[in-house]
Order: sequence, then structure tokens, then C-alpha cells
Amino acid sequence: MKRRLASFKADPVEINVSPLIDMVFILLIFFIVATSFVNEIGLTPKHRDTADPTHRLDPPVAFDLTGEGRILNKGAEVALAGVAPVVRAASARKPKPVILRVNPGAKAGLATRVMDQAMLGGAKTVKLSAVAASSPK
Amino acid sequence: MKLRRRLLKEKEVEAINVSPLIDVVFILLIFFIVSATFVKVPGEEVLRPHAVTAESLEKNAILFALAADDSLYYAGETISIDEVRPLVEELRREVNAPVVIQVDELADATKLAKLAREGKLAGAPVSIATRKPE
Repeated sequence: MKRRLASFKADPVEINVSPLIDMVFILLIFFIVATSFVNEIGLTPKHRDTADPTHRLDPPVAFDLTGEGRILNKGAEVALAGVAPVVRAASARKPKPVILRVNPGAKAGLATRVMDQAMLGGAKTVKLSAVAASSPK
Repeated sequence: MKLRRRLLKEKEVEAINVSPLIDVVFILLIFFIVSATFVKVPGEEVLRPHAVTAESLEKNAILFALAADDSLYYAGETISIDEVRPLVEELRREVNAPVVIQVDELADATKLAKLAREGKLAGAPVSIATRKPE
């Protein structure tokens, strides 16, 4: 017994690592293929849906986006670059929520840019609301 | 003469040491395991709007794509807007992932508003994917 142990120690068995390498390669290829590098940047216009009507804090700064792509604030047309100053002026003392009412036909790209400008003007919450198709433009 | 010498030399070649190779492969494997976030991509390439206030979004997100023809994509299939809320609710039962909308510049804004509303109603934070301004 003693002799056998001694001879075992003296003659180490080399482990064959090739199956291990094969396995690791297969796993590696699986993970390379399965990985999808989604790296998005974007806007997160937070807004709370206040179901409680008494919880109304401030009247929001409202913008309307017409189907033709015009931006209206209190009925007056503003340019895209004019959105940020309007929001900044309105929320000078306290940040105010912004609501963007979009009419059918307005482009999502423009709506996103208006939201971007509103957030640039300091708005934290921007709500996007769709105007029903039946309402007059 | 030359050939014989070369043959002799080749016989002397020892077994290549594969341990550094295995080390590198293990490191790569660990990197890919760690970075793997199995998200379902919508499978529709859209032209995102430019935005200056854009921030980096959560990688593990529920992605929807709203194409220029107002069709809505999820995981490579077109779905209707009514399916969004149950789908998001179902997915958020497992992981607390936000909703990211990849919207085309030319899509209808009312569709975007409705989609964002559905996501919000399902209880998820909704973000809109944008591009860097040029």
C-alpha cells in the first residue's frame, strides 16, 4: 500500500485539458453571439399621474404641437429655440411641470425636440398627451 | 541535406504551452458573461431624433420601436398598442426594467404619446431614445 502511494506520487498523471478548452470556447462563442450591446441615450420625462385631483400643485406650462408642426404656447406661436426660454421664465421661482399636447399629424421627432428643449429650460417633468383626432386643430 | 536538418529540427519542437491561451479565453469568457444583458431588440432600425439633454439609459430595458410608418415593434414582431400594457406588466413582474421607446423622427407624435402613456400605466419609467446632436 505504502509502496503504491509512493509510486503514484512519483509518477504524476497529466490531466488532459483539451476538453476543458473546448467547453470554454463553446461558452465563449455562445456569450459573444448572445451579447447585444444596447447602449441607448435618451430623455426620461418623469411625470406623476396624479389621480387625486386635490394634489394639483402648479398649473403646467402648456405647449401645443399642431399637425402642421407649429409650436403654440398660450395661443402664440413659438420657435423651437424659443421653448427653453419660455420654460425657464415660467419656472424661475419654482420648477413647473410642462405639458405637451400633440395633435394628430405632428411628427414624433419634433415632439421629442420640444421635450428636449423644455428639459433644457429646466423642466423636470414633461408630460406628453395626445389630442383626440376628432378635436379641431 | 537541408531537408534532413529541418526534419530533425521539427522533431525537437516541444509541445506549445497553452496555459496563457486558456487564461485569455477565460478572461474573455468572464467579460462576456458579465456584460451579457439578454434584452430583446425590436429589430427595426429607426432614425432617432436629436436631443441635447440626453442621458445614458438603462441597458436592461424593455425596448419598443415606433417606425416611420407608425407600426410598433417588439422583439422583432409588430404588435398593436393594446398589447403593450399587459406585456410590460408581465415583464416587470420578473425584472424591474424601464421602458425605452426607439422612435422614428417621422412617426406620429400622438402614437408616441399613447405608447408612453401605456408604459406609464403599466408602472414603468418611460424613456425616449435619441441621438447625439450633430
